[in-house]
Amino acid sequence: MRKARLQELLWMLFISELQAATEPHEEKYVLAAGETLNVQCPFSIQKYANSQKAWQRLMDTGEPLTLVFTESVSGNPSQVRMGRYFLEDIPSEAMLNVQMTSLQVEDSGLYRCVIYHPPKDPDILSPLVRLVVIKGTTVSDKNPTQNLAKISTLPPTTTKAQSTLLNSPRTVTQLLPKSTADISSPGLGVNITNATDVTSYGFRVPVINIVILVLCGLLSKSLVFTVLLAVTQRSFGP
Amino acid sequence: MSAPCALLAWALLALLGLGLGGPREDPPITCCPIVPRREWRAPASKCTKKLKLPVRYVVVSHTAGSPCDCPASCLMQVQNVHNFHTGTLNWCDVGYNFLIGEDGLVYEGRGWDTKGDHTGPTWNLISIGISFMGNYMERSPPPRALRAAQSLLAWGVAQGKLSPTYEVKGHRDVQRTLSPGDRLYEIIQTWPRYHE
Repeated sequence: MRKARLQELLWMLFISELQAATEPHEEKYVLAAGETLNVQCPFSIQKYANSQKAWQRLMDTGEPLTLVFTESVSGNPSQVRMGRYFLEDIPSEAMLNVQMTSLQVEDSGLYRCVIYHPPKDPDILSPLVRLVVIKGTTVSDKNPTQNLAKISTLPPTTTKAQSTLLNSPRTVTQLLPKSTADISSPGLGVNITNATDVTSYGFRVPVINIVILVLCGLLSKSLVFTVLLAVTQRSFGP
Repeated sequence: MSAPCALLAWALLALLGLGLGGPREDPPITCCPIVPRREWRAPASKCTKKLKLPVRYVVVSHTAGSPCDCPASCLMQVQNVHNFHTGTLNWCDVGYNFLIGEDGLVYEGRGWDTKGDHTGPTWNLISIGISFMGNYMERSPPPRALRAAQSLLAWGVAQGKLSPTYEVKGHRDVQRTLSPGDRLYEIIQTWPRYHE
């Protein structure tokens, strides 16, 4: 009896682990200091055309901090600016446009668009924004020769970061000597986008790495449960 | 049951669970035959604006016009929609990126790469507009039409035209309209990629 029940419990836990929660999907934005973040958050026109919207930052404690919110509930387009934060609500187009200017490294973190109706809990809109602000020259610099001059005068650590970003259409983990040699090649900074990379999040990571990580995660969970079930068999078996 | 057998059974179930696990998955691509423009005798498109690929949103609408349930009548219906959009509304081409007929076939409109005129200035730039030919307030499209649409979207992901994390929206979710009709709207809300 005990054995059967324990097995059932483990089986149920196993199944529940496999089901993913339906949470808003997270998008990663990687920008350089000084650049501007632009995010589009769609919302349901039927439900939220006449609702207030807000842009919040999720602090390390998990608490949300409201940075800026709209006030109009008329259903007409409205804009609101609070320092570096700008919100444009276009109810007729079911879209909330968010802008954060003059980005600083400290701005890196998790943000979200929400429907703001205190004291009720806010309704979270998709996508969740994972912002990463890096120091130094812009990631997508269009002038290769300027970059060459800048790179040669910067200390080695910064050089490595920049050269790997600019010179690695394939992998992010290039060795420093190799990438330094690549700087003088004509292909510098020109061919940033490559079909084998995941560019939709603005962050270049080879697909194969992601696939391997996902497979390892899934396999490790099911292996753990299989082992647990095996152990149950042994300890409660005849 | 002996211990090794039971262990093997659980291991197999674990692997099966792997296959079934994860977020609700897209339906497998059954086929994706798309009726190309040439086949429905489309005049050349005069549209120039391109979409930024991969696209993250799909907007589902209905034409609110006559349905058609065989290839011959659907061919004529696509031409009708095209004539209305280009002749009467004076657009550069039929507004939708793809049209779905009750014959279970997908008809190529502006395709994956060209911006459509189906939803509004904000959404046309960021979405693929697919439209079911017919009025679906009180009727549902037949399963073969729904399958064709799902196949098309899965194909779009495979081709890199649609983002692997694309979201489906009903036309009425993003514009003030009855489209895609009450019955069809109920159906797309059950689709794995639907996100309000």
